[in-house]
Amino acid sequence: MKKSMVQAVKQLICLGMVAIVLAPILLTLFAALKTKADMVGTSPLLLPPLSRVTFENFKKVLGDKALLLGLKNTGLILVISLFFNVMFGTITAFIIERFDFRGKKIVVGLFFLGMLIPTFVTEIARFHVIQGLHLYNTIGAPIVIYVASDLMQLYIYRQFISGIPVALDEAALLDGCLYFKLFAKIIFPLLAPATATVCIIKAINIINDMYIPYLYMPKNKLRTLTTFLMDYANAQQGSWQTLAAGIIVIMIPTIIIYIFFQKYILAGVAAGAVKE
Amino acid sequence: MNRLNKKRRQFIVLSLLIPMLLLIAFVVFPAIDLFRMSFTSWDGYSPVKEFNGINNYISMLQNKDLWMSLKNNAVYFFVHLLMIVVELAFAVLLTGKLRAAKFYKTMVFMPYIINGVAISYAFSYFFSPINGAFDAILTTMHLEGLIRSWLSDGSIVNYVLAFVSLWRFSGYHVILFMAALQSVPQDILESARVDGANTWQLFRYIQVPAIMLMVDFVLFDNIRGALQVFDIPFVMTAGGPGYASSTFTLYTIETAFTYSNFGLASTMAVAIMVMIVLIYVIQNYLIHGLILKDRRKEA
Repeated sequence: MKKSMVQAVKQLICLGMVAIVLAPILLTLFAALKTKADMVGTSPLLLPPLSRVTFENFKKVLGDKALLLGLKNTGLILVISLFFNVMFGTITAFIIERFDFRGKKIVVGLFFLGMLIPTFVTEIARFHVIQGLHLYNTIGAPIVIYVASDLMQLYIYRQFISGIPVALDEAALLDGCLYFKLFAKIIFPLLAPATATVCIIKAINIINDMYIPYLYMPKNKLRTLTTFLMDYANAQQGSWQTLAAGIIVIMIPTIIIYIFFQKYILAGVAAGAVKE
Repeated sequence: MNRLNKKRRQFIVLSLLIPMLLLIAFVVFPAIDLFRMSFTSWDGYSPVKEFNGINNYISMLQNKDLWMSLKNNAVYFFVHLLMIVVELAFAVLLTGKLRAAKFYKTMVFMPYIINGVAISYAFSYFFSPINGAFDAILTTMHLEGLIRSWLSDGSIVNYVLAFVSLWRFSGYHVILFMAALQSVPQDILESARVDGANTWQLFRYIQVPAIMLMVDFVLFDNIRGALQVFDIPFVMTAGGPGYASSTFTLYTIETAFTYSNFGLASTMAVAIMVMIVLIYVIQNYLIHGLILKDRRKEA
């Protein structure tokens, strides 16, 4: 008797949590399905009567050419950034984890420093580096920043590599395998699960990032999904139902990624935290 | 042997060359440049960066709006600090015997992966004074008296924004605590239970010591996160009304990119950097050291 009471209370607490998580999303969805008249006429907590549910707001967002452009730009930035992140991340982690060489401490220290340096305010100085390299207002700006900073992949790869027996390297080298071949043919394929984690987590971060594209790519042609939403919000001033549809559309990509790849994400998030 | 050594060195140098160059150009150099710029009155475009000694540091310390912004950061810090208890409770709840635990785990982390700009707008709508959902909830509960202008009343706006921050980031800590709790071997818990330990005792004497390192990390993450709150106020209130919901990072960014005072902004950026490194060092050598020392004694 007492046990089932405790279980019931636990379920209630958890359902309360689910309600808090879903409320802002669902209420926004309700608004997106309303006509302008229903925004005033029906409670914000309820859907309009089914006969009056409208998809006009979604049609408007999805028909916006700028959204398509945002999708294209985000996709391009994403693919290129992930490619280099994986390439540099795997080989750097491999060398730090498996080789001793002069200056190694400095190399490791610099990468560690990269983890400590605050986000956002660094842009004050980085801005001029980007401008000096003529990357301002090109998709090169976010790409180099995503590749050079945010080094969580190093931790995930190092952890993974430390689990691969060194004997494997030695056997391959004795067989006359060259270092590059050892890395490319043996180590890299073994890192595939870690690569999946890195790609998924980074993809979510990059799709959701606002500040880097906002700061470095003010040109209209270079909108990403997130900065598109900012423009859209400014253009819809006061018309919550149309903005609501935009909000929902922009939320969808990362939610889909999360639902399909949850296992990798949760594992990677925990691995990234437990560093030392 | 010598040939092999040479090959080895070639491999290391070639592989690290580009990653190191990128790191130096886009992370290390900007960090150093911030220090240099913090002693100048540079406006962002003049060719000369005029040296002005520690003037920026003095004017930073005398800047009332900046201090108010820092106080706002403290709101985020304390709200998140209190929440750690709740996060721990949820982690214990979700790692224990619970029906649908997997579904709840999915839900608890979902806010963390949702687009931050999108959810900020969603909350702007939620708290909006006209047809806002939160006011409607209060009205259905006959609490109309509590209704405020949530995002434009300077005395409460920070708490509203801190709530949004809680909504977004608490799930991350729950997941971290869950990972730490799951690293406690099941047989230890079982044998303690057989010995008659109750849930609280299990939590206090077995689970808490096991997750101290994670608590340590979450505390650091909390301080670092609270110091760097930026996008929620940036999107939802732009720091307003006035500077009522500004934060240290928001104020710094504005000083640079809105008012073109890159010298002063660099000084503030240096201040944030120093605070973060200082907290890291204190934590690493003090708390971290103490825990490890305790462990060594036990062993």
